[in-house]
Amino acid sequence: MQLSMEELDGGITKVILDGRLDIAGAQAIDLKMNVIAGSKKAVLVDMQKVTFLGSMGLRTLVAPAQAIKGRGGKMVLFAPSDMVENVLRSSNMHTLIPIHHDLPSAVAALQ
Amino acid sequence: MSDRNENSGCEPLTLRSVLSEIARLPPWIERLAALHAIPERTRFAMDLCLEEAVSNVIRHGYSGDPDHALTVRCEPVQNGFLTLVVEDDAPPFNPLLVQQQPEPASLGELAVGGQGIHLLKQFADAVEYERKPDGNRLRIRFACSAASQGLPATPHS
Repeated sequence: MQLSMEELDGGITKVILDGRLDIAGAQAIDLKMNVIAGSKKAVLVDMQKVTFLGSMGLRTLVAPAQAIKGRGGKMVLFAPSDMVENVLRSSNMHTLIPIHHDLPSAVAALQ
Repeated sequence: MSDRNENSGCEPLTLRSVLSEIARLPPWIERLAALHAIPERTRFAMDLCLEEAVSNVIRHGYSGDPDHALTVRCEPVQNGFLTLVVEDDAPPFNPLLVQQQPEPASLGELAVGGQGIHLLKQFADAVEYERKPDGNRLRIRFACSAASQGLPATPHS
């Protein structure tokens, strides 16, 4: 699992995830996600290249979202695959961490 | 191909009881999926269910003790279902009795953990637990297409 970052206009941080968000993938990015959660207030997580999501991967997304919200910010998920989105919906995460499939609406949700 | 795996097409996989061993599951599932012409969506579900079932055994069944083993194998396709079997020698634990967490009303209530068993039940077509004299057996069933029933897919020439 690879993680890269890109700063967008409006103080939005785009976090691009690439690979399997399984147990090993979660362990690989947990620390980076925690650092982002502690320093950014508007975070767009680009899920387009995430090929797998398990329960440990969910944890890697929930904990930062909770931390960002606790600091008055917001995190949204962008463009997960159908199968990854099924995991998000099956765990009810989509009701609390919004999922967007077009970039303008994802950005608008953070402004 | 040996006699003991001619029906399912894949050798059983024995894993040590450490989480890093879970990395051996996806390539095993890939081979199985190729042999049985399993569609991508079902392969994803198998991948998810096995990660959840095996990590559950390692973390909860064995309580993190690294000196145990568990076995993952595939039973022959029967009645349109392919069955993955996870066997361990851990103390009795039926994951199907774990209560689903109530739907969270806010992000603060969303449990950081505890989703694994719920996902296993959601993504498998059927899950059966059996207590063995010396451990636990979990059968996880997935519907297969009629074209792939009974025999491994014929490789394209």
